[in-house]
Amino acid sequence: MQQGIPVAEGPIARRTARLAQMLVLPGWLLILAVFALPILGALYLSFRNETLGAFAPPRFIGWENYSTALGDPRFWESIRTTLLLTALGLIVQLPIGTGLALILHRNLRGTVMFRTILIIPMLLTPVAVGLMWRFMFDTDLGIINWALGGLGLDGPNWLGARWPAIWAVVIVDSWQSIPFIMLVVLAGLAGLPAGPAEAAAIDGARPWQVFVYVTLPALAPVMLVLVMIRIIDSLKMFDIIFIVTTRGGPGTATQTLGMLIYNTGFGFFQTSRAAALGILMVLLVLPVYGLWRRAARVAR
Amino acid sequence: MRLRRGWAGRAAAYAILLVGSFIALFPLFWTISTSIKQRNDTFVLPPRFFDFVPTLKNYIAIFDTRGFGHVYLNTVVITLGSTVICVLLSTLAAWSLARAPRFASRQPLEVSLILVRAIPAIVIMVPMFSITSQLGLYDNHLVLILIYAAVNLPFATWLMTSFVEQVPITLEHSAAVDGARRWQILVHVVLPMILPGMAATTIFVALLTWNEFLIPVMLAGSSAKTLPVFISGFISARNLDWGPMAAASALAMVPIAILTVLAQRWLISGLSSGAIKG
Repeated sequence: MQQGIPVAEGPIARRTARLAQMLVLPGWLLILAVFALPILGALYLSFRNETLGAFAPPRFIGWENYSTALGDPRFWESIRTTLLLTALGLIVQLPIGTGLALILHRNLRGTVMFRTILIIPMLLTPVAVGLMWRFMFDTDLGIINWALGGLGLDGPNWLGARWPAIWAVVIVDSWQSIPFIMLVVLAGLAGLPAGPAEAAAIDGARPWQVFVYVTLPALAPVMLVLVMIRIIDSLKMFDIIFIVTTRGGPGTATQTLGMLIYNTGFGFFQTSRAAALGILMVLLVLPVYGLWRRAARVAR
Repeated sequence: MRLRRGWAGRAAAYAILLVGSFIALFPLFWTISTSIKQRNDTFVLPPRFFDFVPTLKNYIAIFDTRGFGHVYLNTVVITLGSTVICVLLSTLAAWSLARAPRFASRQPLEVSLILVRAIPAIVIMVPMFSITSQLGLYDNHLVLILIYAAVNLPFATWLMTSFVEQVPITLEHSAAVDGARRWQILVHVVLPMILPGMAATTIFVALLTWNEFLIPVMLAGSSAKTLPVFISGFISARNLDWGPMAAASALAMVPIAILTVLAQRWLISGLSSGAIKG
């Protein structure tokens, strides 16, 4: 909540602006050193043919790394996989997270305890989480297929085939991401005035009608920003795939663009190709960035 | 009729919350349980939930044979260093963003923060690997500390901005009228009021840093190795060594779970206000 308005004009404002400019300098230095410089480095590398342990001296080769990437079916497959995991994640996580938020918002007895338990997954170390799920996904000795067997179901070879592996990644990602969606929607619900929903209920609207016609439209701006953040984080997803499907397996079934960059640069030591893929990834992220800014403006 | 629907609805709500809590906690329980099992209790069906003789063998194994103590200490040092730098820089930037509607680099800074948040770290890691190895900075604690701090800077800055905005600006104005200098106002008026916010931000950034994997897996060798990298090493080594792996995972996650329970109020308000900005 803003109490009082910062002065925008006059000598005090000028002094404030000078001080502000000075105080942000250390942050600027860090951003320039850790982000701007390496991205320029990636651009530079992407026009060369640097590899680790190459015999030929590296030289400039123009757009070759880009044309190789764009002509490589694995590049397009990795983009499809990235988008697929993002879409499946949103479809699974948004309804469950929103549902849990709606239940917690009712403020039943024990809400604080349940809320605390339910947010634990999002804060745990993704690598450790991934390993544990991998252990539970084991086809023969894993507890998940044992439990499915108890229900009379034949559990799949989770990490040995394409679709089960994709779902395994979605499940682990959802387990860690649903709490975040739940918390943000919960905060959104807390910020809504109670009046409209109550009025609708008094007028005889059923709970689901109140939700669809009153609550959901009012939540739309928050949901929009939430979707953008989730898309950005899905594009970044790395740890879970690295661990659960051993860097994108089986074969290349769960190899996202981020994983392809890692495998190209650190698996096959093709530094320059990986750099070019990285620049292409920035181009993929930029439209999402634009949408995010717009969504954030609407939410405010 | 209405009463009965309320009762049924409440029962359904509790059922969902209970199932959700079970799913949320089970992997953590299973990690701890696996970490104190003998090998032959780990690989049996039906699984042994409580009927086994607990052992600390797995914990002793990771400390004895794999240098776990060194890794744990590394992770603590890197987390502390990076968190302090990140929270300090973000607090300074946050005051500027909250209090100065116009300053020279305001717009570029806002854009940069979002870009830093949006661009996947893997993109910067490829050139970063080349740069650090050419400068002899591969496997260097300070490099890791600075990169972590930069990666978490946007989130920390947005979070701190929302805390600075909660400080009534009239306090700063009246201190100025009383003749206090700018830095005196910052230190004696603003700082005490945002300390709780800084504490919440510190917890968050520390958690994110503690869990970070992508950066150290590419930039840390044996000397600066951190906990997540150590844990990931179990995959390539021996795929079936679940006991020690669970022990290492438990030592990574249990402190976080305890912290979550203790600081849940701060964590929740912080998450919802810092995450949505941009």
